[in-house]
Amino acid sequence: MALTISNNIVNSIFKRFQLLNLQNALIHNTSCLNAWKATKEKGPTHWLDYNKKIYPPQTPDEEPRKAYVCHQRTNIKYSPFKMWYIASLIRGMSVDEAIRQLKFVLKKGARDVQEVLEEAKELAVKEHNVEFPSNMWVAESFVGKGTVIKGIRRHARGRVGTVEYFHCHYFVRLEEGTPPKHYYANHPKEPHELLEDWLSNMRKRKVINSI
Amino acid sequence: MAFRGVSIKSHHRLLYEKMCGFLIGNSPALTINNQTVRHRRTKHWDPKWKTLRRLKVIKVDLPNFREKFDELSEEEVRSRLKQSGVLPTRPWQEHPFSITSTGQIFEAYVPPEGDGKVSPITVQGAKQSLQFLEKKTKTMLTVRKIRQFEEEFDGPQFCKEATNIYIKVHELMAKKELDNLTDYVTERVYPEVIHNIDNKTLNWKYLKDVELPRIVHARHTNVVTNDNIFAQVTVRFHTQQILAVYDRFGRLMHGSEILAKDVLEYVVFEKHLSNQYGVWRIHDKIIPTWLPPREPLRRTFRKIVEPEVDSTVVPHEEENVEKDTSKELSK
Repeated sequence: MALTISNNIVNSIFKRFQLLNLQNALIHNTSCLNAWKATKEKGPTHWLDYNKKIYPPQTPDEEPRKAYVCHQRTNIKYSPFKMWYIASLIRGMSVDEAIRQLKFVLKKGARDVQEVLEEAKELAVKEHNVEFPSNMWVAESFVGKGTVIKGIRRHARGRVGTVEYFHCHYFVRLEEGTPPKHYYANHPKEPHELLEDWLSNMRKRKVINSI
Repeated sequence: MAFRGVSIKSHHRLLYEKMCGFLIGNSPALTINNQTVRHRRTKHWDPKWKTLRRLKVIKVDLPNFREKFDELSEEEVRSRLKQSGVLPTRPWQEHPFSITSTGQIFEAYVPPEGDGKVSPITVQGAKQSLQFLEKKTKTMLTVRKIRQFEEEFDGPQFCKEATNIYIKVHELMAKKELDNLTDYVTERVYPEVIHNIDNKTLNWKYLKDVELPRIVHARHTNVVTNDNIFAQVTVRFHTQQILAVYDRFGRLMHGSEILAKDVLEYVVFEKHLSNQYGVWRIHDKIIPTWLPPREPLRRTFRKIVEPEVDSTVVPHEEENVEKDTSKELSK
């Protein structure tokens, strides 16, 4: 909207100048037309700070701490709502498996996610003392909403509709080690767990009018 | 839903749809909307209002957030700046220049091979001590020069001071307190000191001297004017230290917390003598050529093999260029 308005204003000023017989074609109008581009978008700020956290030294008898690396890609031209499916798909997979699976996802965002994973792998080896990049799994994978640029669309009877051009941020955390058996807490229970539950429930029940 | 056929090039591979109905053939209305690829999902059943439908959406010039400014060519940058009405920045022609320290070691000390091992009683040891004597005259001159500016300059006393500076630098480095570091190291060596210490925890301990530190070499020089004098003194440290390097997650990367190692080092100290407030600071460390290779890191790497380029083989393009020029010459 702003775009068209400013354009109109500039054009009207331009015409007036022409009427006044001033030197025409000397007005540079591109700067004001592109002024909205100059507003700097404030992207995500905290995610990469986790990479700066330094843990205290461990003694030799302790189990070595698992390394992790956080990585992100900001303002991808893709809908965050569509990206969510891709992000959820690879949660709890090993990195290589995730990359392999993403190769078969026919969505535009999958390419970006794949690239981010590969970058994160490289980063882990280069900066975070990870020995084997394949020995990592996707511990966190989520999407954030980026810049939304609004465009307009004509509707009937002189009305105006908005078109939202979405961008999204993608965040990932790779952790060293093998992926857990279940990523989410509410996974279906194993048969022996079900049996234990049933037994405990049966023992807990109250038999009315008993001793 | 019935007749949704399209005219377009029938041989096009991307066209999945069957051509059917009355739209097949060379009807004049269809030649206008000659879209090369059409899918079922992109197509409206009535092409009549196509242009008007297009005009309903006003095109927005979307910014490319993923574009890297560094990768743009000069011409592209120019056009971008012009488009956004920004004047190009003034080229940065100043060259940063530090005058508080010199840029290198002048007449560097050459450590004798097998130092720290050879006893002075053996033949080799005797030879070494003779060589030291030969080089001593210049050192004596410099010490005299230093005494002109610093009257109480005394070898053993200076070595004590040097040890303190040496320890202080390592402690500050381990604690990563970089604010006061330039009081103990010169601007030349500062980037080398702080290189690669971020994301790591250093545990460094100075245990004792194996031998007392001593001055092995001293030189001075004047910069620009005759009375602007810098002095450099090389001190030999033979000490016992403990070093353990931990990565970001507290896992041991290098060294050990319990293993003490003998360390032989030649550390160059520098002072701006003409400066009233000049102090002795660490300027460099001399690494002898005969030094045995370092202990490698305890992890595996993927070795990057660079393709060997045979210098005798001339690439095709260059060959062609040469031939062309020779042809021109023959003409």
